[in-house]
Amino acid sequence: MQDRPTAIELLQAAADFVEREIVPVTQGQKQFQSRVVANVMRIVAREIEIGEPLLRAEVDALATLLGAQKPHLHTTSDVLAAARKFNEELSARIRAGEADRGEFRARVLKVTRQIVEDKLKIANPRYLEADLKMRGKF
Amino acid sequence: MDAAELNERLRAFIREQGNFRDVKIANLHKMPGGASREIWSFDCTTQGAKGAETRGMVLRRDPAAQRIESNRRHEFLILRAAFEEGVPVPEVFWLSDDPAVLGADFFIMERVEGETIARRLLRDEQYAHARQVMPAQLAEIAARIHRIDPIKHQLDFLPEPGPNAALTEVQRYEENFRTLALQPYPAFELAFRWLYQRVPKSPRKMLVHGDYRIGNVIFGPEGVRSILDWELPHLGDPLEDLGWMCTRAWRFGADENPVGGLGRREDFWAAYEKASGLSVDPEAARWWEVFGNLKWGIITISQARTHMDGLVSSVELASIGRRTVENELELLNLIEQ
Repeated sequence: MQDRPTAIELLQAAADFVEREIVPVTQGQKQFQSRVVANVMRIVAREIEIGEPLLRAEVDALATLLGAQKPHLHTTSDVLAAARKFNEELSARIRAGEADRGEFRARVLKVTRQIVEDKLKIANPRYLEADLKMRGKF
Repeated sequence: MDAAELNERLRAFIREQGNFRDVKIANLHKMPGGASREIWSFDCTTQGAKGAETRGMVLRRDPAAQRIESNRRHEFLILRAAFEEGVPVPEVFWLSDDPAVLGADFFIMERVEGETIARRLLRDEQYAHARQVMPAQLAEIAARIHRIDPIKHQLDFLPEPGPNAALTEVQRYEENFRTLALQPYPAFELAFRWLYQRVPKSPRKMLVHGDYRIGNVIFGPEGVRSILDWELPHLGDPLEDLGWMCTRAWRFGADENPVGGLGRREDFWAAYEKASGLSVDPEAARWWEVFGNLKWGIITISQARTHMDGLVSSVELASIGRRTVENELELLNLIEQ
């Protein structure tokens, strides 16, 4: 067990420093890159915080969609490998035309949208928020 | 190459190209934002037969390594053709494909003063008038670009689209996607299926800008001043440019206005029809908008890989890999309509 601060707290401290101390005193390309640096650290902090439960939910949703057994996975890398395998299988079935119409298409669209929205919760929550607002669901 | 050495080499190059007695370069600095291309700005004072003259200039140079296919000579020739046909573009001066000069291909053009940051256009009070007039201006300029005759201007290097420009483009980007993607993207697979099932039947074949979006426009309070970034022109369906202008990434959050965050699709199409004399099929225009969102999604993958493969070390390029998902969401929105 590592000592406090947690990884998230460390990243937030670093991102706050870049935003408060570096961005205001830089210009042009350096200022832009500094903002990107702070943003990247906030993405990583969110991924550490909520990445694993979302990834496990993705694996479960894909298993149900594809008619596979929900796997019992212990390590994070096992979950990641399962997510990859199921996403590849889903992609192959879409390419083969299985999701062109009908009930399976509706389910594919629903699950795919949920996964994409969950990815945005980490990559760009404000984008997701604006999208939900635009579509009148927020 | 540091700025001092670049200054010295540029000076010698311009002096030789223009047969000038003397050349002075001041305020040489790298411009922000060029993710795939180096852009330098400088003031150039030349001493020639007509006396001394100072002009703002821009150097566009390839980085040492790159993934996006482009060619400075082609860009130079197309800019010249566009300038001659009355498209608002910077005047081009000199071109070099000799790596001994600056280490990579480059050309030098006029610096057009103005703003390029779309967020300012969309939010600042001083651009209220520009926001009003720009959608119609952009439609009119697009029509002018599409009218450029490639034969008259000897643009024989422009890629040929084959019998169906729309099908060719989607196939080309699918190939890029299959080569570049390091993981599956089911939303993109759904978008490819959607596109293949609805390929426009008989797209026109004209000169297309290929990267026609708000971020490539220099503007002022009065509206459009110049169209930039002629790196991806080709022969194709003119609706490609209109669809790309409506791609969500270029709205910067102003999603109520699909045309670059500035206006409505229907008004933009009507202005284009009026200026070009061509009809816009709304379904085909929508097809190109879906394609635009997919294309930008694939480009984000490509830009992230440019960093991951070690071609260019850049936190900006790396972070773009986490923007791919924005396009997945927009594609789902569009294909579920």
